[in-house]
Formats: sequence, structure tokens, C-alpha cells
Amino acid sequence: MSDVAHAHDDHGHHAHPTGIMRWLTTTNHKDIGTLYLFFALIMLFAAGSMALLIRAELFQPGLQLMHPDFFNQLTTMHGLIMIFGVIMPAFSGFANWQVPLMLGAPDMAFPRMNNWAFWVLPVAGLMLMSSFLLPGGAVAGGWTMYPPLFIQGGISYDLTILAVHIMGLSSIMGSINIITTILNMRAPGLTLMKMPLFCWTWLITAYLLIATMPVLAGAVTMLLTDRNFGTHFFNAAGGGDPVMFQHIFWFFAHPEVYILILPAFGIVSQVIPTFARKPLFGYASMVYATASIAILSFIVWAHHMFTVGMPAAAQLFFMFSTMLIAVPTGVKVFNWVATMWKGSMTFETPMLFAIAFVCLFTIGGFSGLVLAIAPVDIQLHDTYYVVAHFHYVLVSGALFAIFAGIYYWMPKWTGHMYDETLGKWHFWLSVIGMNIVFFPMHFLGLAGMPRRIPDYALQFTEFNQIATYGAFIFGFSQLIFLAVVLKSIKGGAKAPARVWEGAEGLEWTVPSPAPYHTFETAPVVK
Amino acid sequence: MEQLDTDGVARSLAGGFVFHSRPRCSLTRAQERLVFWSLVGVCFGAAIGFAVLGYWLVLPFAGLEIGLLAWALETMRKRESDYETLTIDGDAVVLEWRAGRRHGRREMNRHWVQIACDCSAPGKNCRLRVRSHGCETEVGHHLSDEARLRLAATLRSKLQA
Repeated sequence: MSDVAHAHDDHGHHAHPTGIMRWLTTTNHKDIGTLYLFFALIMLFAAGSMALLIRAELFQPGLQLMHPDFFNQLTTMHGLIMIFGVIMPAFSGFANWQVPLMLGAPDMAFPRMNNWAFWVLPVAGLMLMSSFLLPGGAVAGGWTMYPPLFIQGGISYDLTILAVHIMGLSSIMGSINIITTILNMRAPGLTLMKMPLFCWTWLITAYLLIATMPVLAGAVTMLLTDRNFGTHFFNAAGGGDPVMFQHIFWFFAHPEVYILILPAFGIVSQVIPTFARKPLFGYASMVYATASIAILSFIVWAHHMFTVGMPAAAQLFFMFSTMLIAVPTGVKVFNWVATMWKGSMTFETPMLFAIAFVCLFTIGGFSGLVLAIAPVDIQLHDTYYVVAHFHYVLVSGALFAIFAGIYYWMPKWTGHMYDETLGKWHFWLSVIGMNIVFFPMHFLGLAGMPRRIPDYALQFTEFNQIATYGAFIFGFSQLIFLAVVLKSIKGGAKAPARVWEGAEGLEWTVPSPAPYHTFETAPVVK
Repeated sequence: MEQLDTDGVARSLAGGFVFHSRPRCSLTRAQERLVFWSLVGVCFGAAIGFAVLGYWLVLPFAGLEIGLLAWALETMRKRESDYETLTIDGDAVVLEWRAGRRHGRREMNRHWVQIACDCSAPGKNCRLRVRSHGCETEVGHHLSDEARLRLAATLRSKLQA
């Protein structure tokens, strides 16, 4: 019976379903993780192409390439797809691959539900993308779906609401699976405070998702009934309150911002100690800081809507509560820097992306603090300063952490080392391109250029042209990333079980590539 | 039953063989209560707050979601005391199991025991049964198809030894 007891040692010798049916019917966490990651990659190129079209139009003042309504469709779909189709699925891919491996669990707690959670996503993605082909085109009211625009649009608005529902369902199923897996399937001896920080951040992220998804589902359903069934929840003409939609939406969407960044914190907290060859500084404080950020995320929503008008006391409350988030976030940044301090550092591609994350995410955090100041926000609201802020958080924050994680764990997934030279080219072009796109947007915003417009005043031309050059550098450098991934899947130097010298954790005890089934017998953690 | 939340252990005793399998269960009651009731509080707190303001459509979604969470936790809870033990000791083959509220024990003569497995490759929801005197009992509920096939081969060799 030793073959049952040590099933994770004899990989590759047992057949499993092959072909398309393997991917459609799979309940294996590694297969589903791969599906999530490829889905996110495809959507990244789709939504990234939309971003390049937007930047091409903004290269010069005046209308060059497209009708303004199509421009609005592109900005809306770019936002929706990047958030729900790229960042969230990519992190779900990491969770599927890594959480069971890190916990010493054979799979997720509910593998069949895991399969459903993934396979509803492409349906939603297809619905979103196909809305471009419908009469009137895709949704153009912004990813925030504010009424009255969202109540007045065509059939694609109903389709988008349905797609958002489906993506929410996928998130809920995924989150319940992750919470139950992390809490119930840890290896003997792996207490909560011994868990890798990536598991902690995902546990808290899943909690946030479960807590907030009903609010989004309710909000979009009320939009749907306003559109089709004669209700007036948000229709001012019928006595409804469109501003209330903003409150409901941001009650969901501010925690959603942390849903998009907490797993990134987890990835960076795995990568930095590995390449600094030191344990993570202040593990417990990292856990408490993550939990604090999650709790605070529920009481700051109205900082997105200072301009709608609210009592001074409310403005003060939301201003100070927002600023309070800088404290646990500062703890995290301090701990990452302290982990690197006097470490035996090496600078492989995952570490480069992690360091860029720490530096650039901090810039995004600081511009967030600026926007938290109510009187300043009233000046900067809906300007390019806001666009610069959230792209520093979501591109150099979430996306760079995703790149760091992929370079870090790809040898474990594929069994091959990636091409380090190409990886470094990808890093430097991305980091330079990203800063060229988004840093000038701070100046554009401070000078008063509004967001979501295809045309602008002449004085904004130079910074817009610089941003467009940067966008194309950043966009096309992602083709290098694609080449690195495909090359690593196809072949390359054989990766050992412990890919990185300083790597710690159960996932590095299994061979590379990780066998189809791992930890069928629980390892004991001391 | 899902194959994946399992923990199969097999070992040889002096002259005998024991296979023991049970689901993984690291969640304590206190942790379960904390997670569940805090989520109930946050979800329904927000939903009731919005309902009071007239935006009641958040409530049914909160209810559905908490229902799904409750089902997931209850399913795990039901499995926590499940186990299967198959012992081959001398001429005796003893099978003991608990699945939810059902539990049982069968003693068989080693020379009359047959191992039946209805597939030869994984991925087909393989069922592994221990058969004797016209009665058969399914084993390996907590295992993957691959592990079931390996267990079948091991049991056959142990029974013939």
C-alpha cells in the first residue's frame, strides 16, 4: 500500500482523461487553475487591445479613429473585462494551483463546484465581448454602471447585467470553495498562524467576496427591473434615487478594490522572502494588517462620491477612515522592505516584479491618500489624476504581482525554467512602459483633463502623446510575456522540486512539474 | 462523494494489513461558527440596511449565498466522522465504515473475498467493491479514481498472498 500512502511521489505514471473532455469535466485543482490563468491571459490581450485603441484615439486632440460612443464602449468594456475577466480570474488561477499545494491538501474542498465556478466564466466573458455586435453596441456607461445612463441603454446593457450576475456566481462558488479548503483541509500541524501568507490573503479575499457579492447582485438586479419591469429604484422620474445606486455600488466596489489587491500582497509576500533568503519580517503583523484593511474597506465607500453632496460630518468620516487604511498598508510596505533589509538578495524576474510592485504600488497608495482629502478630491474627481491613481494600484500593483507569481511558480507548473533573459526584457519594458503611460496622467489630471472623453483641449496634447507612446511599449512588451509562457510550456531547462534556493513551503516538496494528484496522504507539518 | 478531500493511510501490521481512510478535517467548531456567523452578520446587516431604505433586492441574494455557505459547511461537518477501515489479518477480512449516520461492520473469510472494480482507467468514476457470499460493499469512497485502482491491485495481491 505504499503506493497509496505516497501517491504524490509517482507522478506521470497514471493516465487521466485527455483531450477537450479533460478540460471540460476536470475537477482537478491544477487543471482548473490552468484554465483560469489562460482565460485571464486571453482576456488580458482582449482588454489590452481596447486600451491601445483608446490611447491611439487620444494621441491627438480631435476625433481620429472612432465615434465618441464607441470610445465610451471601449473604456467601459476595458474596465469591466480587466477587473472581472483578468485580475480576478488570474488570482483565482493562483488560488486553485497554489492553495491546495501550500496546505498539503489533495484538492479543493468541493472539486465539482470548482469546475462549475470556472466554466460559467467563459460564458460571461463571451456575453460581454459579443455585446459589441448587438444593435447600439456594447455598454458605454462606464464600468460603474451608474443610472440613469445604464437604465437608458440598449439590449447590451441587459446582457452585461446578466454577465455580471454570472461572474458573481462564479466568484461566490470559488470563494466558498477557497474558504472551506483553507479552513478544513490544512495538513496536520499546519495551524492558521503557520499558513503561508498567500493563503491568508486569499482567505480574507474570499471572505470579502462573500460579504459583498449579494450587494452587487442586488444592485444590478434593481437596474434590470428598472429597465424592464417598471420599477423605480434608481429612476428619479419615478421617485427613485440614482445617487443611492452609487452608495450601493461602492459599498460593494470598495471592498472589491481590496479583493483585487490582497492576493497580490500574498504573492509578493511569498516572492520577497524567497529572493531575500530571509523569513518574512513580521508575519503576524502582516496577517493583522490584511484583516484590518479588509475591515476598513467596508466603511470608506463614499470617498468615491464626495462630489454628489453629503454632510460635512460624513465627508470628514469617510476622509479620515480612508486615510486610516494607510496605516495597515504602511505596515505591509515596511515589512516587505524590512524583509529585504540585509538579505542575500538576488534579482531574478519574479523578484524584480515584486520590488517594482512595492515601489509603484506605494506611489498608487500615496495618490490615493491625496484623493482621500475631500476638498482635493472635489477638484480632482473624474480627472486623469484618478485614472493615474487606480492604474498605479491595479497595473503596477495587481498585474505586476500576477507577473511575479507566474514567473515564480511557472517552473513548478510546467516543470521547465522560463527564459530569464526574455523575462528581464519583459520586466524592464513593462516597468518603463507602464510609467510612461500612467505617470503623465497625474499632471493631466492636476491640469484638469477629464476622464472618459475622446477629445481634449490642445494644452493636454504633449502628455497624452507621451502616454500613448508608453501604452504601445507596455502593450507590445506583453507579447514577450506570451513568448516566455509558451516557451516554458514547450520546453526548457528542467526545474528541480525546490526551484528557488530560498523557497520554503509544502509546494516545493513535490516534484516539478507538480504531479496530477498531490498530497493524497497528508504531510505532517511541525 | 468527491474524491479529493480525503486522507488515505495504509500500513502493514505484523502479518496483517490495514487500510484506513477518512476525510481531511482541520476546521474547529469555533472557527466554523466565527466564519459563518460573522458572514451572516455582514451580509444580512448590509442587506437589511438597504432593505430598510427600500432597496430590498439585496436580501434574497444574501439569503441564497448564505444558504450555499451553510450547505458547504454542513456537508463538511457531516463528513468529519466518516471513515473506512479494511483489515486483513490471517484468514479474516474486516471492513468497518461510517458515512454520515450510517455505520457498519462486516467480517469475511479471506478465501471467499473478491475485489471488483468496474473500470480499468481513471476518470470514469470507478467503483471499488469488496464481495463475499453474494454481498458486496463499496470501499474507497474518499479516494481518487487513481488511488482506488491502486488500492484494488494492492488488495488483490494481499488476498492472494
